[in-house]
Amino acid sequence: MTDTPLETDDATALERVVTSTDANTLGRYWIGAGSLTLLASLVAGVLVALERLDLGGTEVFGSADEIFQFWSAHRVGFVLLAIVPILVGLGTAVVPFQVGSDSIAFPRMAAFSFWTWLIGAATTVTGFLIDGGLGTPGAGGQRQAIALTLVGLLMVIGGLLGATVSLLTTIVCGRVAGLTLGRIPLFSWTLLVAGTFWLLTLPVLAANAVLAYVDLRGRTAVRFGAEEAIWEQLSWAFSHPQVYAFALPLVGIAFDIAPVSVRSRLATHDVVLVLTGMLGVVGFGAYAQSFFDTPGTPVMNEAIYVVGAFAAALVVLALFGGLVDALRQGVAISQSGTGNNPPAPMILSALAMLLLLAAAVVGALRAVDPFDLLATSATGAQMTLTMGAAFVGAMAGTLWWGDRIFGRVASQGLGLLAGLSAVTGVLLVGVADLFSGFKGQNDFTGASVAAAGSPDSGVDTLNLVAMVGSVLLLVGALGWFANGIRRLTGVAAPSDPWGGHTLEWAADPSAVEVTSERPLLDALENSGKTS
Amino acid sequence: MLTTGFKLWFGIFVAALGAAVFGGYTSGGDETGPISFAWKGTVGNHVSYGLLMTAAAVALGLALFSVAFRDGDAEAAAELLDTDDAPPAQRPVGGSWWPVFAALGVGATAVGVVVHPAVFVIGICAVAAIAVEWTMTNWSEKLSGDDAHNAEHREKLMRPVEIPVLGAAGVGVLVLAVSRVLLASSANGAVVVATIVGVVVLGGAVLISRNPSLPRGIVQLVLLVGFVAVIVAGIVTAATGEREFHQKGGDTYAPDTQSGDGH
Repeated sequence: MTDTPLETDDATALERVVTSTDANTLGRYWIGAGSLTLLASLVAGVLVALERLDLGGTEVFGSADEIFQFWSAHRVGFVLLAIVPILVGLGTAVVPFQVGSDSIAFPRMAAFSFWTWLIGAATTVTGFLIDGGLGTPGAGGQRQAIALTLVGLLMVIGGLLGATVSLLTTIVCGRVAGLTLGRIPLFSWTLLVAGTFWLLTLPVLAANAVLAYVDLRGRTAVRFGAEEAIWEQLSWAFSHPQVYAFALPLVGIAFDIAPVSVRSRLATHDVVLVLTGMLGVVGFGAYAQSFFDTPGTPVMNEAIYVVGAFAAALVVLALFGGLVDALRQGVAISQSGTGNNPPAPMILSALAMLLLLAAAVVGALRAVDPFDLLATSATGAQMTLTMGAAFVGAMAGTLWWGDRIFGRVASQGLGLLAGLSAVTGVLLVGVADLFSGFKGQNDFTGASVAAAGSPDSGVDTLNLVAMVGSVLLLVGALGWFANGIRRLTGVAAPSDPWGGHTLEWAADPSAVEVTSERPLLDALENSGKTS
Repeated sequence: MLTTGFKLWFGIFVAALGAAVFGGYTSGGDETGPISFAWKGTVGNHVSYGLLMTAAAVALGLALFSVAFRDGDAEAAAELLDTDDAPPAQRPVGGSWWPVFAALGVGATAVGVVVHPAVFVIGICAVAAIAVEWTMTNWSEKLSGDDAHNAEHREKLMRPVEIPVLGAAGVGVLVLAVSRVLLASSANGAVVVATIVGVVVLGGAVLISRNPSLPRGIVQLVLLVGFVAVIVAGIVTAATGEREFHQKGGDTYAPDTQSGDGH
């Protein structure tokens, strides 16, 4: 058994599938596997939303602990088993093209990372399904199954870290001559920033999981492994501000798509570099661990948390303003008769930025002490809006780069419809949960009105709206998945369907002279053919 | 000249350092604690402070590396090597079995920690073996510029080790997994399982050997599915535990091999 160029000789289909180290293929694997776990996590979300329609008892599940298992499975699945892997997959496939590299750095490690993540994801899901999960408030789970979930989570984190190292090394060490870090496409840049923070924070999450595991496996859990305490130690990774670090690449997707769509240069390129770096900084969430609060100084009431929440809102607002400014030029071009209809990815990426702005506003509101929203469903609203924005951004990204990644055409119309469904769903969930939070509904509602925080009247209607939103989000994900399947059987795609400005659209990147962040546009202008 | 990468990571360093000090003061730290790394005084929320300071230190390290190596720019590499063009950063490599096998080994190790020590040991052995194989592959790839020659050299060295070890390991894993299934089954069920497994293995081998034209992919798929099924069955039954054995003759362990009655 040895390593051979299996992808070019007479290797069987099975061998090709499991031995591939090609970045594009690995990117497809990440996206495909991530989309499956996305559907599973959204189904869990819909079931929990259905359960919330009646706060006084259990309708869908058997007990409060069971509700908690699915509630936490939805969050873990949505973030670490779905959206982040899909973004990693998009990066694995696109980044080597964008920086002009022949391959991703450490291709075998990249493959190892994917398979480790996949096995870890399967283990995590199995742990949740066999009465485990990440602890329960009533300590009703199976200890061994909880241990299995923790071990699976560790493998998931390990896989994501390995893939991130490959991506970051490609960006730093794999660029063609002339492509300085300041000139790399913004998707690669935001992955560089986000990846830095993933590398800084995911090991902390792994340490939390190890601490819980070691204590859990002892005779009697002393503190960290107590079932009712495990989720509290890990929850920081699935809430404000850490979710900004996970969702950050969506900003790069939006800013890569917009200028090409409106046929112009991005005048604020350098400003976007700085702002995305700042968003990464405020997205460092590992410090906000309420489990380790010193008595009398809860971290979420500290000045640093409040300042960070408002800084995030301001940074996202500035980024959104920059995007709108770039798109305004496109409107002018359209009105002058030289433009085309706005492409679906542009619409979706702009809406994703709008969702991110809404998330940042909810995050800021949540940090205001008099509103008393920290433990309420506003927490879930902020998470859904942020990761929903990242999902819509990923939808835009797969529509934009899908032809390059898969070599086949997908339906832009179906992609847009799926995206609009997801946007509507995310907004309904986010807005309904925010208002439920103002009415006093807890983040986890349990199986009784008292456990739900005894919220004010009207919360039932809001929960119905949130449930409709969850269904719409699931429908959007199903539409996106179906469009991906259709793409596999679609007609061959042109090499550059959008008239792209950056190296991923070049037939031969090594032949392109890079003197700015838009080398293909430079070449076009130098040849006298302005777009 | 300060490179873009340096600016990014140094900016993160400054922000994290500032946040740590700010958080230290606003969470109950005294006058000197936050600025002396808690050497003189207290920092309030020490977990937040510690994590932010760690992030700052890592970011500073990255910033210094980045500026020292000029962001890894291709021109810098070419200048260092005194050539006109920079070498390719990473040439594509062919397909490789090691990543997927290594992941399976890590998975077995991790699951084994929870489920059964035998699975853990198998996982550790697999990871160790793959580490050696992977290392040898990387070593052989640097022998010369001729991939075929490198692969041949590697095979000459490793084949005499790989084939017997892999064979023994494969048989050992199968025996271990099937034995867990047999121990978890009832006495009669174990006989049935052993018969079915024997017939399937023998029948499958006969079928494959009598049809040499069978596509390689189908043979691989059948073997893979069978192997995974046996492993999964072994893990599940190991987790379930052995059936209850009632020994004859009081406290003395005396397995009755004559009657085959394990109850």
